[in-house]
Amino acid sequence: MSRIGVFVCHCGENISRTVDVEKVAAAAARLSGVAYATDYKYMCSDPGQGLLKKAVAEHRLDGIVVAACSPRMHEKTFRNAAKSAGLNPFLCEMANIREHCSWVHEDREEATEKAISIVTMLVERVKKNRKLVPITVPITKRSLVIGGGIAGIQAALDIADAGHEVVLVEREPSIGGHMAQLSETFPTLDCSQCIMTPKMVDVANHPNIRLYTYSEIENVEGYIGNFQVTVRKKARSVDMDKCTGCGVCTAKCPQKKIPNSFDRDLGMRPAIYVPFPQAVPNTPVIDRANCTYFKTGKCGVCQKVCGPGAVDYEQQDELVVEPVGAIVVATGFELYDIGPKPAGSPYEGYGEFGYGTIPDVIDGLTFERLASASGPTGGKIVRPSDGKEPKQVVFIQCVGSRAREKGISYCSKICCMYTAKHTMLYHHKVHDGQAYVFFMDARTPGKNYDEFWRRSIEEEEAVYIRGMVSRLYQKGDKVVVMGSDVLVGVQVEIEADLVVLATAVQARTGADSLAQKLGISYDKYNFYSEAHAKLKPVECATAGIYLAGACQGPKDIPDTVSQASAAAAKVMTLFAKAELEREPIVAKVNERNCVACFYCKKVCPYGAVEEKEIRDRNGNLIRVVAYVNPGVCGGCGTCQATCPSKSVELDGYTDEQVIAMIDAL
Amino acid sequence: MHAEKVKHDFEPKIVAFVCTWCTYAGADLAGTSRMQYPSNVRVVKFPCTGRIDPVFILRAFQKGADGILVSGCHPGDCHYMAGNFHARRRFAAFRKLLEFVGVDLARLQFSWVSAAEGGKWVEVVTELTERIRAMGPLEEFKELELEECWSGKIDTPELQEAYKAIP
Amino acid sequence: MTNTAQKLDTIPLVDSGYWSSVTEAIRTEAERLLSSGEVTAVIGYRAGRRSGTALPAIATSPEQARELVFSPGCVNNLALYLTKAKKDVAKKGKVAIVAKGCDLKALAGLMGESQLKREELVIIGVACAGVYGASADRSLPLSEETIARKCRECTVHAPEGVDLTAGSVPALPQLSPEEAEELARLEAMTPRERWAFWTEHFSRCVRCMACRQVCPFCYCEQCYCDRNRPQGVETSPRPAGNTAWHIVRGMHLAGRCAGCAECERACPMDIPLNLLNRKMAQELKELYGHEAGIAPKEKGPLAEYREDDDQSFIK
Repeated sequence: MSRIGVFVCHCGENISRTVDVEKVAAAAARLSGVAYATDYKYMCSDPGQGLLKKAVAEHRLDGIVVAACSPRMHEKTFRNAAKSAGLNPFLCEMANIREHCSWVHEDREEATEKAISIVTMLVERVKKNRKLVPITVPITKRSLVIGGGIAGIQAALDIADAGHEVVLVEREPSIGGHMAQLSETFPTLDCSQCIMTPKMVDVANHPNIRLYTYSEIENVEGYIGNFQVTVRKKARSVDMDKCTGCGVCTAKCPQKKIPNSFDRDLGMRPAIYVPFPQAVPNTPVIDRANCTYFKTGKCGVCQKVCGPGAVDYEQQDELVVEPVGAIVVATGFELYDIGPKPAGSPYEGYGEFGYGTIPDVIDGLTFERLASASGPTGGKIVRPSDGKEPKQVVFIQCVGSRAREKGISYCSKICCMYTAKHTMLYHHKVHDGQAYVFFMDARTPGKNYDEFWRRSIEEEEAVYIRGMVSRLYQKGDKVVVMGSDVLVGVQVEIEADLVVLATAVQARTGADSLAQKLGISYDKYNFYSEAHAKLKPVECATAGIYLAGACQGPKDIPDTVSQASAAAAKVMTLFAKAELEREPIVAKVNERNCVACFYCKKVCPYGAVEEKEIRDRNGNLIRVVAYVNPGVCGGCGTCQATCPSKSVELDGYTDEQVIAMIDAL
Repeated sequence: MHAEKVKHDFEPKIVAFVCTWCTYAGADLAGTSRMQYPSNVRVVKFPCTGRIDPVFILRAFQKGADGILVSGCHPGDCHYMAGNFHARRRFAAFRKLLEFVGVDLARLQFSWVSAAEGGKWVEVVTELTERIRAMGPLEEFKELELEECWSGKIDTPELQEAYKAIP
Repeated sequence: MTNTAQKLDTIPLVDSGYWSSVTEAIRTEAERLLSSGEVTAVIGYRAGRRSGTALPAIATSPEQARELVFSPGCVNNLALYLTKAKKDVAKKGKVAIVAKGCDLKALAGLMGESQLKREELVIIGVACAGVYGASADRSLPLSEETIARKCRECTVHAPEGVDLTAGSVPALPQLSPEEAEELARLEAMTPRERWAFWTEHFSRCVRCMACRQVCPFCYCEQCYCDRNRPQGVETSPRPAGNTAWHIVRGMHLAGRCAGCAECERACPMDIPLNLLNRKMAQELKELYGHEAGIAPKEKGPLAEYREDDDQSFIK
């Protein structure tokens, strides 16, 4: 027989005005299994809670129903009170007779009747409640950061500075990402390399950061606090421990005519190369697809000239398993391919803009390389076709962005600002040149952003033409841009020397497959989804995984850095605890009854269900059953509703509890 | 402001199976906004509509519910990402089964009520209560509950006489 | 005498040579599998004592394999013998199974539910012409009068994805779809009329659980409907509990049922249980394009979802 205590709260007059609380308490006292029932003015007050604690001791209560406000309001309060009275907190339930009763009904008789009925249901429920103990999960206090752009670097440095080990994985031979490719940055026009490279060096020298470049995520297993990440270190063909970075190999490599993708193919590099002079690590990598030795088996110059003997043609990919407790995803973005529609691409492409066919039509990132002091032209702005200085440059914005008919409806966010920057950089370098910008709207929210844009027009003499471009074509050595000026209402035709397209920011190719490895969700553009657009902007719905930078959506550098630090803060919050403690509302499997149909596994939104083998003492397999990992289980209970034999049960919402309530109707 | 209280001949029992994150919170909001609705509804809280087993609906009808509401988060809003999507399929199928067995689907309402939709909660509950009030009690299950045994037609004159003889 | 007259009128759907050729093919293959040791047992049918009947049989030797038959009396869905309910069979080692089209669908369903592995099974598919209905006069040949209701609308006469097909499908006449017609008749009723129809049927239910025992998908070791803590479904054979049981059974099989109609055949009270299963199958096909098929599916229609699933019924 249960000994339930029922405490009916007046909530000042909030409840007692419409509900006859004494009558409710009297009715509750008559219920079977109720050992004590009373009413009180403010149950949540100190004396109210004291009343509860005293009653638990005096009446040896083994369950509590507090009939008061919504459990969303005070469930924690009363469960804590129950706990301090020596009762398991999960034996305390709230009957919501305020929000669901006294506040929404006026008739005293009806409201009182309903309140009694609500209390009855909760009394029946609490009789079936079980003692639950919070779940603790150990935490591996190391974190993985995927992506070595500015987002990943910032997150890695913040976490490492807090004293936790960080594994930073970068796909390219060097960290730096897109930011290393930029010339100057808006809205201050400080040199990107100058602010970026010190951070890169910090990463390389940080005692808490383990850096894997030229590496990719092969597999991710586990859950918050306990991930096992397999990293594939691609064969670099150079022993990183031996290489001193002297650069003789790259200088002596006879194969020197390979377009350097870091320079957007404007410059050339050898087959053994570092992508750019400030690369971190400064260890070359052999591009096996283009290396004469790997193609023909002859050459081997780099190996011969290498003093320390670091060049290793036999090197193989290596798999490393890293245990980590949290993951920051910072894989960044790529630019919309604006050439003719690429095979397999969901997007339409911009064949009409001549990218890839007209040499003097380039994208914004290529212009960055042209303008960069460390770029292939040493910062001199010249045309890719003939190396002449362009006197008229047309910038076209929103190429790919906000173009639903081409497949992308979002705004890429950064192009308005970087195009304004481009016009300035151009004007600074080619004083007699003229920049034209075709734009739809100028979107410049941000600190000092609009001022910056205005400056490009007012001081740097860029001509902004509101309207879109319909077609580009080559005429002699000029590129004719045909567009419209919708403000004036005329057709515009400009004979340009160079055209720069502000192409859309899009998710990385393969972003979806990485998301599948990580078990995180992504939107229809393959940008990763945050758990809540406003209140959980850096967390993934999958616990223990956080987002930083443009992999979550187009972002400029300040936003990216902020988000990266926010993600790092989330990781540190997680690591600040000795163990992960969570509410024990999780599913448990009755292994005796489980018939291993794995419907639970099929419907679990968290991937919390595993297949567990039960073996006898000699290791022979007896049967396979489902197992719910309590660290991963989110507690939705979809498994239980789906399980045909109800062999999996959600603590706190068991069938017994629910049916007891229904039967008390 | 107080509307004249109307006494109805029949007050239906309405049970609402709701998820805690959206609809329960929506009902809380209706309370904090002091909206008014019929007092017939009894709320059973679940973490997610994904937890709601069709058996509960059946059981509630058997235990005297005249109308049932199942309500959770709008698609895409599920706290557990996909619980309501699973529930949507489950109940799409289950209601067809109930209909086929002969339950009037007007007695079983499904809705999405978000934590911000106190007004919608009031609307859904009021509409359902009024509809069921007009339809009358759910006799089918109540009749069934009263029937004793599959061979319950033991109704011979001798037996009747014996019953009557009992003082 | 009327019997004789009927017998004379009955037009067999297939000539008797068909049955013997299928039987021979099963025997030959079973013999080969058993004598080569490829399998330890062949689950099939052998003739029953009364003519026109057959029993499930597990042959473990080539001699026993010679006793296997295929006849219109081979009504049982043998997939049942591979489920957890009959776990001793699987313990024998790799087995072969004789499977009609509807049994194949059950096998596929069980594979999708991790109960069977295809590689642990040799499937002898039967090019099936149909089997007797539950109340058929077994002295008559398989005919339009004696064929099971489910077979009238069979879409899987020819097995696919099997290791060997026994026999070949003979030319079969188009039979009127009685079950579909009955379903349509019920659907046209008012809810109150349907309720009367079903409560009449359910009130006869004696809860013998034959429908559950014979179902390949009711392989749970502890049935939810037998539970007492909590008692979600009343266990006593009262109309209320019976109705709940049949509704819950229908729901648990929705999206899984292979349509073998064994529940209906086994029911001693002649409750048309397959109508419930048919109805659910029809609805799930309409809603989600799901059909029980011969290829195992990773997830059933109620274990997956699409973000744009129909929600016209939700306010």
